[in-house]
Amino acid sequence: MATSFKKILTQKGYWYLIFKILAFLILFFILDFILGGFLGKLYFKQTSGWEYRTKYSIEDTRADILIFGASRAQQQYNPFFFEERLKQTCYNVGRDGEPFFYYYAIFKGILKRYTPKMIILDIENGVFRAEQTSYDRISVLLPFYKNHPEMRSVIKLKGPFEKYKLQSKVYPYNSMLFKILIGNAEFNKKRSIDINGYVPLSRALNEPTRSVNISQKYDLDANKLNLYQSFINECLKANIKLYIVCSPYYINLIGSDTSMTIAKNVAKSNSIQFFDFSKDDFFLKNPNLFDDTVHVNIEGAKIFSNKLIDSIILNSAYKN
Amino acid sequence: MLFNSFYFLFFFIVVTVLYYTISYTKRWLLLLLSSCYFYMAFVPLYIFILGFTIVVDYVAGIYIEKAQGKRRKYFLVVSLIANIGILCIFKYYNFINDNFSFLLHGFGLSNPIPYLQILLPIGLSFHTFQAMSYTIEVYRGNQKAERHFGIYSLYVMFYPQLVAGPIERPQNLLKQFRQEHKFDSERVFEGLKIMVWGFFKKLVIADRLGIYVNGAYNNVEQQNGMTLLLATIFFSFQIYCDFSGYSDIAIGTARVMGFDLMTNFKRPIFAKSTGNFWKRWHISLSTWFKDYLYFPMGGSKVSVPRWYFNLMVVFLISGLWHGANWTYIIWGGINGFYLVFAIVTQKYRDKFNAFIHIDKFPRFFLFPQVLITFLLISFSRIFFRARTVEDALKIIKKILTFKGSVFNDGTGIILYSCFGIAFLVAVEFKREYYKGSFTLSNHPNFWVRNSYYSFLVILILLFGVFDGGQFIYFQF
Repeated sequence: MATSFKKILTQKGYWYLIFKILAFLILFFILDFILGGFLGKLYFKQTSGWEYRTKYSIEDTRADILIFGASRAQQQYNPFFFEERLKQTCYNVGRDGEPFFYYYAIFKGILKRYTPKMIILDIENGVFRAEQTSYDRISVLLPFYKNHPEMRSVIKLKGPFEKYKLQSKVYPYNSMLFKILIGNAEFNKKRSIDINGYVPLSRALNEPTRSVNISQKYDLDANKLNLYQSFINECLKANIKLYIVCSPYYINLIGSDTSMTIAKNVAKSNSIQFFDFSKDDFFLKNPNLFDDTVHVNIEGAKIFSNKLIDSIILNSAYKN
Repeated sequence: MLFNSFYFLFFFIVVTVLYYTISYTKRWLLLLLSSCYFYMAFVPLYIFILGFTIVVDYVAGIYIEKAQGKRRKYFLVVSLIANIGILCIFKYYNFINDNFSFLLHGFGLSNPIPYLQILLPIGLSFHTFQAMSYTIEVYRGNQKAERHFGIYSLYVMFYPQLVAGPIERPQNLLKQFRQEHKFDSERVFEGLKIMVWGFFKKLVIADRLGIYVNGAYNNVEQQNGMTLLLATIFFSFQIYCDFSGYSDIAIGTARVMGFDLMTNFKRPIFAKSTGNFWKRWHISLSTWFKDYLYFPMGGSKVSVPRWYFNLMVVFLISGLWHGANWTYIIWGGINGFYLVFAIVTQKYRDKFNAFIHIDKFPRFFLFPQVLITFLLISFSRIFFRARTVEDALKIIKKILTFKGSVFNDGTGIILYSCFGIAFLVAVEFKREYYKGSFTLSNHPNFWVRNSYYSFLVILILLFGVFDGGQFIYFQF
């Protein structure tokens, strides 16, 4: 046995190559299994940071009211006021820079566990724009591929080879190592405050508004449009009160954005209330309420959250 | 088809398996067809441009060999005009026209010549130069004209080095297409190992650094001096890992099939002088310019002013070879100037070196020598990377203020980048100065060796950027 093994090792033919490749694969999968398992443990043990919030949104929150969106959701809707005035628990699942794929996948993950009572979906100009980066950003959902089959249809949109790459246990944590390590330390908690997912901003602008024409045409992403429609359909099916909102800008927007027009039309055709604060005069006259031209600061978030709650209460009273 | 895509991995496996299963007399056909497919995966129509130069050079090669006296030169000139003509139309036409417009504008005139709305065929400068080296070598009598049209086509189109080199010479590559490359598992594994290291350099280092560099260089106005300084240093590592990563994948792919391509990089980050740098960086292009431009102009065996002139011409043309933009020409000019300056000051530097006893403590002075060379080369690359000359000047001005704090977007990009650079420097340092010791990649124990490469693949999966896009040198 030992002689024939040695013989294989000294040959230069196909069998030797197959033996070497097999040995390589065995070593690779052992290393992958150990390291991937370790990273998985660390990932799901995080107590702060962006990855923690994503994990908490998908696997832990049981809030009655959920706020979906990108940075303009995360940094503009303060759950404290929603809880206080609507007497329901609230969590902000928004995440900086994430496209519609993220909102929908998180929504699917949550819906599998429980049915929230109300959802506020923040939509921004250009939300349905076709761009490759939106697909690249799906990578933040890779750690959930294995245990969340309901999210797989979205994750597979990342690319045709994603399901093969995900055979590796390490790949789901690609480019996340340092974030995971920090998420397991207390560093993030000291660095940024997180109030039920809401991350307040503190700067105050002091500059005049600039005008931007938003009427230019651009390519739309059919996947994003389909998921938007599915989001609405599933809310209706699960009897969840859905409000779609465009939050304030400190930009004098000229014309109408293609994505926003579509979002409004689809909402209207499904009898969903759409609140548009994008051209709200009050905010346009108060630069001190903004951290930058597209994000309100802590004071702005307080005023905006209360304004939105007023509109929701008024809308409910009108419907009742 | 990009090397850093899963499509390429499937393509490579299929072609390699077929290659070793068919008779060696038919392999040229398989390689030619697969090379056509590989090239057509970018822009299918451009295969006709490649086809045109192949036909011209193939015929020219035969006629150069057959002809006598001055007629040989005529055929060479026809071949060179065809190749350079294609380059001029696709790469330099709009640039020349743009400058012509600028000139006319100075006289208050408008330019009636229209611009061409065309895409630059991928890797045009590479395969054109490889094709030209064939006809020149036939003309010089160093290479017999290739009579087999398929094999000649394969010489220009061999897919591992078709779009970004190494720019091969006919004496090295052509004969290999006729050799029977018997299956040798050692060679196959050796090729795969070179490929893994190439993928590591591209995916883990170059594409990660590219995110930071693109962010800084594409928004010069918004960046401060320190951010641009870091981006400039990062770019030096990015371009090295991007291009040498490509070369490694090309060399490894060819090695798996039994071919030996020329070495293109010899750890240029450890160059001790700018002259030494050009012996280590993009060797296949440097030697091309040396053999076909610098030596024919007289090289260094001419008067001193003419020698300087020759060096400057070579580097200015090298800059232009990289791209139709003044930024590349200035980049070439700066590097030419470095060499001329080094020659002019050689006497004084020798005196200074003797004064500080550099020969007694060579290791002590090694670090400053390497660092100064790296900084000089990085400085010239500001022009290479900047979108315009104005941008490059703004970057230099901002860097020289040394103001501001380094931009960090909170995603750990600087940490990942530094990790990649540290890993690269450690591996290359060991290969440069401690060859044969502490070896993991060539460890005599099979399992240690294999564990090292498994670990590299794990690092690629953990730190690699899989959405990084194409190689920088494809655009040339």
